[in-house]
Amino acid sequence: MSDGGIPGAAAAARGAAGRAQLEVRDLVKTFRRGTRTVEAIDRFSLSVNEGEFVAIVGPSGCGKSTFLHILGGFEPYDGGTMLLNGAPVRGPGPDRGMLFQEFALYPWRSVIGNVGWALEVQGKPRAERIAAAERYLKLVGLSAFRDAYPAELSGGMKQRVALARVLAFEPRILLMDEPFGALDAQTRELMQEELNAIWQQTRNTVLFVTHDIDEAIYLADRVIVFTARPGRIKDEVRIELERPRRIDVKKSAAYMGYRNRIWDSLRDEVLKAREEFR
Amino acid sequence: MNLAAAARFAARWYSVPLVLAVWEMLARTGAISKRLMPSLVEIATATWAALENGDLQFHAGISLGRAFGGYALAVVFGVLLGVAMARSRAFDALFEPIFSFGYPVPKIALYPIFIFVFGLGSLSKVMMIFLECLYPITVNAFYGMRAVDRVHVWAARNMGASERQVFWRVLLPGAAPSIFAGLRVALPISLIVVIITEMIGESRGLGYYISYASASFEYATAFAGVAAVAVMGFTLDRVLVWLRNRLIFWERGAAFIGGA
Amino acid sequence: MNAAASYSRGRRVALGLALPLAALAAWEISARIGDVPSYLIAPSAILATTWEMALSGELWRHTGQSLLRALGGYAIGGAAGIAMGLLAGIARPVERFYDPIVSLTYPVPKIVVLPILIAWLGAGDASKIAVVTAAVFYPTFINSLYGAKGVNRLYVWSARNMGARPLAVFLKVILPAALPQVLTGLRIGLALAFIVTVAAEMQNSRGGLGFLVITAEDSLRFDLMYAAIVAAGVIGFAGDRLLVALRRRALAGQSVGKEGANA
Repeated sequence: MSDGGIPGAAAAARGAAGRAQLEVRDLVKTFRRGTRTVEAIDRFSLSVNEGEFVAIVGPSGCGKSTFLHILGGFEPYDGGTMLLNGAPVRGPGPDRGMLFQEFALYPWRSVIGNVGWALEVQGKPRAERIAAAERYLKLVGLSAFRDAYPAELSGGMKQRVALARVLAFEPRILLMDEPFGALDAQTRELMQEELNAIWQQTRNTVLFVTHDIDEAIYLADRVIVFTARPGRIKDEVRIELERPRRIDVKKSAAYMGYRNRIWDSLRDEVLKAREEFR
Repeated sequence: MNLAAAARFAARWYSVPLVLAVWEMLARTGAISKRLMPSLVEIATATWAALENGDLQFHAGISLGRAFGGYALAVVFGVLLGVAMARSRAFDALFEPIFSFGYPVPKIALYPIFIFVFGLGSLSKVMMIFLECLYPITVNAFYGMRAVDRVHVWAARNMGASERQVFWRVLLPGAAPSIFAGLRVALPISLIVVIITEMIGESRGLGYYISYASASFEYATAFAGVAAVAVMGFTLDRVLVWLRNRLIFWERGAAFIGGA
Repeated sequence: MNAAASYSRGRRVALGLALPLAALAAWEISARIGDVPSYLIAPSAILATTWEMALSGELWRHTGQSLLRALGGYAIGGAAGIAMGLLAGIARPVERFYDPIVSLTYPVPKIVVLPILIAWLGAGDASKIAVVTAAVFYPTFINSLYGAKGVNRLYVWSARNMGARPLAVFLKVILPAALPQVLTGLRIGLALAFIVTVAAEMQNSRGGLGFLVITAEDSLRFDLMYAAIVAAGVIGFAGDRLLVALRRRALAGQSVGKEGANA
């Protein structure tokens, strides 16, 4: 993207909803815990279209975060295939932008240093780096904090910096691992609105893991419900709420309908997961 | 002059003059034999005399040089070894037992052998300091590298950082606070070892100076030597803390305590 | 990250023994061939002498003397350090009294006062115990202080809320909560106690392992010197392991955390 624009516009032009950008087929992951093996993910398949926002909800410990870590290339897996734009996924790489619940900002780098770091790693010249970083800082509304250090920011601001950092290296797909899980309820709500507005501009492909049903419905085009361990698809709900979505969509009847349906299918799994800990 | 600030200052530091006053009283009243416990004035006079004829500077310079030499060697090799152990399974397996078994062993007992191997002069002392300081520095560097936040490494890999970039830009800064904690533990150890080795067999250095003075019943002079060591230890520690706070500016407020 | 975990146990043990065994073997062989300085006597000879001395009781006498000094100073310095540290941790005035003194003298090697202590108390046990006491006091004091200060306020509040009296709060809440860090201080202190004892005995003493090392060296009885060094190493190591085992028992249930990190 040398034109200096927000890359999402180009991504949208590439053909919004159409061919599958991400193809996961029969993914299997097992952990070894002492002598016994635990199945974390059991033959999980998923296909995500370009420009689509997909949310994954599931009971805690169901393997939904593990799935993102595997897709990010950080953890190995035991079977199945994963294709991103037709090429197999191997190891970590900047084609998949990962947002962590723990923000993962480097405390020794300023805000601008964090946002521009990916471009620094890729050997981009300084001027280009700074310009791109400033553009994305503006997008998340933190231009005034460019020289602050992470320790000086609130949780919500930290996650916005982390989002700008991921957007700055222009990945083909965003992987978000409970990105707002560490924030308080009000900040969380504001961040959801913010992410919604940003996504409206960039139209990235997003895979968003959360345990918050409201967050999933409000943000996503499609919500996938994971089963209790081993993780598998239990239900899949297409969210046909109008975009751009305003926050008061959460009061609509359609929204409540989605909410009830997802909660009903999730409830059994939460109970099952609880059973396992007894 | 702000009265409240003065009161706060007094409340913060009052115990130091209090202890000194008790000392002075004990010395003056002769509750403890005056010869054994010289008054602060006598100690100050002896310190001044030792400074004037250059004895104190001479011996302090020698002790400082030895301590610094051994310490610097330990920093270089300790950090390298700790990092290598954290990075390579083979290094870890080779050296881990030596460090975990050797840690609680009083290595100072090996000093006579060091004298035979490296001679009676500075080299045996420098090597002894090196050995004693190597342990905390290596172990802290190792744990620091191991304890770097997993998501920091993942985030860097995610951006396409090479192994080299991950090492220099993520692992090393991430381990720096722990590495400095090791440096701070090792600093007083370097002084302990230089003083004790100079007391055992040497004709130069502050350890020798103190033991010689007290063996000749010049206790005020011995205390002058003790004061010099105290100033050295305190100043070096402050310098290290200052350096640490400059380099690891993002953790300035965090507690920074060593062990020994 | 944790690559070491995937190494098999047997391979780790074999690699871990490799360096020490290789060094010992090289030492033994070169000592037997005889092309080394006289102070490098064969490890097998050292072992034999150690055994012989252990049987004759001479090694026990010196070891006992060192242990008495190290543990005597350790007990006094450790008890004072813990008591004062915990007190300073819960009472601001006590902390204010100690804070400037401790922060000024903490980085100073306590061993410097040994010659003066010898002048005051003689070259026997008392001067050694005194210097060990001083050395042990600092780490136990500082760790107890931070342990008591770091106790979660909510624990104290919830105990008060249940009607606990101050003494009960101290004994049942603050003490157990501070225990892990108190034990860390005790562990650092124990290692210091042995180091300072041996060092002090090497400097000026009658009896003890440090004394034995130095006199054996002076009279060129290298086998004796090594036997003393081995004994010093063994008590240092065994003392530490004992403390770690005690710590594990005392903290059973609590997560023990990073044991070696700072000790």
